Amino acid sequence: MMRITQRAVAQNSLAGLNTNLAAYNRLNERLTSGKTISKPSDSPTGTNTSMLTRQGIAGNDQYGRNITDGTTFLDATDTALQDMLSQLRRVRDLTVQALNGGAQSASSQQAIATEVSGIRESMLGQANQVVQGRPLFGGVTGGSKAYDSTGAYVGVGGANGVAVQPLERRISDVETIRVDLTGPEAFGDPAGGKDLFSVVKSVASHVDDTTALSDDLKDLDGVLDGLLAAAADVGTRASRLETAASVNSSQALNLTSRLSATEDVDLPKTIMEMQMQQVGYQAALQATAQVMQPTLLDFLR
Amino acid sequence: MTGTFSGLNTARTALWAQQRAMDVTGQNIANMNTDGYSRQRVDMQSLGGTAVPALYATSNNVGEGVSADKVTRIRDAFLEGRAQLEHASTASMTVADDTLSQIEQAFREPGDTGIQAQLSGMWAAWGDVHNNSTDPGARSEVLQRTETLVAGIRTTRANLDDQWDADYEGLGTLVDDVNATASSIAELNQAIRRATQANLPTNELADKRDSLVLKLSDQIGATSSPAEDGAITVSVGGATLVQGDTTLKLVVQGSNDPDDVATDPPRVVTSPGNTAIRAGGTAEGRLTAMTVTVPKYRNAVDSLARDLATQLNAAHATGYDLDGNAGGNILDDGAGDPSKITAKNLTLAVSDGRKLAAATLSPTAAGGSPSADNTNADAIYQLSLTSTGTDATYRKMIVSLGVEASTATNRLTTQSAIGGQVDASRESVSGVNLDKEMSNLLQYQHAYAAAGQLVSSINDMLDTLINMVR
Repeated sequence: MMRITQRAVAQNSLAGLNTNLAAYNRLNERLTSGKTISKPSDSPTGTNTSMLTRQGIAGNDQYGRNITDGTTFLDATDTALQDMLSQLRRVRDLTVQALNGGAQSASSQQAIATEVSGIRESMLGQANQVVQGRPLFGGVTGGSKAYDSTGAYVGVGGANGVAVQPLERRISDVETIRVDLTGPEAFGDPAGGKDLFSVVKSVASHVDDTTALSDDLKDLDGVLDGLLAAAADVGTRASRLETAASVNSSQALNLTSRLSATEDVDLPKTIMEMQMQQVGYQAALQATAQVMQPTLLDFLR
Repeated sequence: MTGTFSGLNTARTALWAQQRAMDVTGQNIANMNTDGYSRQRVDMQSLGGTAVPALYATSNNVGEGVSADKVTRIRDAFLEGRAQLEHASTASMTVADDTLSQIEQAFREPGDTGIQAQLSGMWAAWGDVHNNSTDPGARSEVLQRTETLVAGIRTTRANLDDQWDADYEGLGTLVDDVNATASSIAELNQAIRRATQANLPTNELADKRDSLVLKLSDQIGATSSPAEDGAITVSVGGATLVQGDTTLKLVVQGSNDPDDVATDPPRVVTSPGNTAIRAGGTAEGRLTAMTVTVPKYRNAVDSLARDLATQLNAAHATGYDLDGNAGGNILDDGAGDPSKITAKNLTLAVSDGRKLAAATLSPTAAGGSPSADNTNADAIYQLSLTSTGTDATYRKMIVSLGVEASTATNRLTTQSAIGGQVDASRESVSGVNLDKEMSNLLQYQHAYAAAGQLVSSINDMLDTLINMVR
């Protein structure tokens, strides 16, 4: 049988009380910090999940920003295309008017020519529209314009022997979406002289020449179709981005709740444990107080 | 034939022995809370007549009382030996646990201030450049974030270096202390030997010496074995530290630069002799920390820095900056040489945001002038997603650190329990139990009273004898 001494009782009690208090302290630490994992050794697997999730959250935030940014770009492109479409329709109306007006006076022909030229200037302005410091239809140009004042394409990509270099936005770990549209893609290849600005220019110069003008009308319809197709393309992409945005925000929720499930304390459980620990600690204190007091000394008289 | 007064003599030895027993009880009670004190006991022995009968020297006496010359300390040599071993293990594992938890602190994971968060920040900045490759704001954000990351990696490495230095200094102090303790033990050895030869009590000196040996066990894993005349021999990992009244001096050898661990590791050697000893206890813990644990994570941070630089520089080199030049190194060692990068000299080599190569399209392919292409920025961002990328490697390292640290903590918990049990067993043998001392006290008191009664009875008897003659 083990011989027990007063000192051993005192030491054992102290060790027991220490263990109790340490457990109490650990729970208290968790409750006050709100985290179950404060260092990797608290839970190596939890740490792995936590770090993965944190990285996921950072990535997802970035994709969210990318999507917003891409949406701005596409919306601006869409607006510009819609504006230009309606202006182009006006040009077509004027062209038809000029074609039909065999009896029109030279001055009214001149008026049509002037208006068409004006519209062309306005459309050039639209085509050079700048978003975030970059021309919308300029491809990857480092300059600030997609078309120069004569209507020649000065952007990079889609013309002059340079392939289209798409401007993309990353919307998830594995997916990117193109957010730009180069001038040649929207308004026709300038190389053949059949792009929007050349055609409109030739309309303005042919108001008195119905033969040439009817050829121009055909070209104009071609350009109009191209523009419509471009607008549809941009619309599709915008709706893809919209879907991506809603996926992104639900993903953000998922990740945040996963991180919380990994790292945050389960309050009811922890408080319950804390209560139990408290009861245990008090019992230990009580027992120690009872055991350590008496010796034979109390009973010798 | 018994002498007339021999009864008085018997009573006198009894009185003396009981009094001495009470003195020892008093000593026990006085030292019940003294560290390292072993309870003592008076070995009472009855005194008999002549042991060897001879023709004219026979005796049919009853005994001649009691002797209480010898006072012994009660301890279990086996348990003391166990305690020395367990104390050494506990001390070593405590240092191992402390080391790993300090390393954990150096990495500050998982959280918003660790290297992972800084990496994510840098990748996000590249994502912003991808969004708008000509925006100077986004570009300078990349530079700022990269600078923050570089600072974070350097800080972590500096923390690990500091930890190593503290261990080195700690080991030096510890060895000095070991030498001082060893000298004290040698002095005690000499004192005890002289006292033993002069037949004087040595219990208190021996207790003091045993405490010092246990301290050495904690510090450097010493064990002791008994030698002649009450002396002890103290040895550490095969080397004899104290023999009789001579000691062997220990010194720390090895470079105090953590970079030299492979070629000139810190070690404890004898002086003279320069023989490396296999230290245990705290010294072992510190040596392991300096030669294995800390260098492992130091190297991990170094290779993290190198890998990050290699991957970033390689991806960056395939792109073109805003002025149409091919991308140079983003990170280097501060002297333009990326191959010599460590976590300590990692430096951001780009200071102008325009020099960040976000474009994949070369100026030639773009028709002669630099383009605003953003593809390379995305390629760099994608470095964060690969399974061989810095983020994944770093995460793996942190998880394995967590596993190692929690294993160390569990081992320490188990070892502490074992050590505690051995200490409890020692206390059980050598500790003072008040109840026992109290009952002994009563016992001796009663025996003393009875011996007094004996004197008074003999007195009466002699009275009767002398009055007969009148």
